[in-house]
Amino acid sequence: MLLNLIKKELLIEFRSKQIILSMLIFGLAIILIFALSSNISSEILSNYSAGMFWLMNLFIVVIGVHRSFAYEKEFDAFSLMVSAPVDRGLIFLSKWVSGFIFITTTQLIIITPFFKLLLLDIPENLSFFILTSLLVNLAMMSIASIVSGIVIRSNFSEILLPLLMFPLLSPLMIAATKISNNIINSQSYELWNVWVLIIVSIVVLFGLAGYALFDFIVEE
Amino acid sequence: MKLFFSIRNNRIFVGFIAALFLINLLNIIFNTPMILDQHWAQKIFYVHVPSAWVGFLSYFIVMIAGFMLFIKNDDTWDDIGLAAAEIGTFFMGLVLITGPIWAKPIWGTFWIWEPRLTTTLILFLFYLGYFMFRSFGGNIERIRRQAAALGILAFINVPIIFVSVQFWEPEIQSHPQVEMASQPEGILYPFIFSLISFTLLYVLMLRYRSHILRYKNSQ
Repeated sequence: MLLNLIKKELLIEFRSKQIILSMLIFGLAIILIFALSSNISSEILSNYSAGMFWLMNLFIVVIGVHRSFAYEKEFDAFSLMVSAPVDRGLIFLSKWVSGFIFITTTQLIIITPFFKLLLLDIPENLSFFILTSLLVNLAMMSIASIVSGIVIRSNFSEILLPLLMFPLLSPLMIAATKISNNIINSQSYELWNVWVLIIVSIVVLFGLAGYALFDFIVEE
Repeated sequence: MKLFFSIRNNRIFVGFIAALFLINLLNIIFNTPMILDQHWAQKIFYVHVPSAWVGFLSYFIVMIAGFMLFIKNDDTWDDIGLAAAEIGTFFMGLVLITGPIWAKPIWGTFWIWEPRLTTTLILFLFYLGYFMFRSFGGNIERIRRQAAALGILAFINVPIIFVSVQFWEPEIQSHPQVEMASQPEGILYPFIFSLISFTLLYVLMLRYRSHILRYKNSQ
């Protein structure tokens, strides 16, 4: 059943391409604003690059996640889905996994324009950078999926989503920025492995909480 | 349903708390020693630390009330959760005001990204969103369950926020709570007295507010 739900999410996106396309264009717009608003040497800019990268991701996640749940609002599809004889925890897992796929795909496309347009060097250890980013994406989407599930059927969900999500994501943003910064500066793993542990704990805690609570959250 | 103050025991409890706070205030002003370099700024310990304790206790109760709502499916737990969230946010606001008042003469600046203050600020902001979520409306039953889930999520995030900020700014070690342990003896007992006073005040506030919410819902 989980695979069917994920397939449904991917199929909708494959047909409309609304989520990835909107995240991509929004990401590029953010890069443009970053480039125009930080007219400083690339050395100084590189100190901020990790923070800027994750800030951009944070914004595009809001767009993507909101769109992903907004589909379900049309024709009240979400109510129909939760009234189907499906473990609601699986609905959360499908949103989590599909959101992870969308944000990762967007990131893989946008990473080159990000470094090139900001006139920064691409990290030497790019594969490590991407691998740790996958972990951050997993954690970010676990939180984003629960919060979206909570706010999507309330009034002004587009306002409530970032209001509730950003404070919850703040420790993750610290960890993600620290890890990326260390990788960009070619620091050894021993210096930043604690951040990986923090992110893993976020994945486990919020993954379990989302799976356990989603049933109550979406109940009619 | 009776009004809160029409119950005799509640009136006695209010009088007791008022007397306790008067004694606490006089105790802080006249009976506690002045600390070298900190002078009057140090007196804020007796308000700041108990406020932080009550704030975190309150958010812990929001989480417990959330779990209980899911287990018992009784709306009383939502009233307790909402009351605890409101009071917790009030005390967290107090922490965010008194912290910088202490910090300015001691650290030379109103704000430092210290783990406890940062955790407080993040929770405070989250709970402002929580109240907006509740007030924006929708299906009341659903809002109750979702608010309970938010209360649980907020509290399980507390240790993660705390550890993250501690590793983020490891050089900051000075803080009222940290410094409390190294203070002279004359400070400890008034501090404990203040802590008890604030906790009892919290119990009163929680009972009063949840009573009002229950009363409103029963109308």
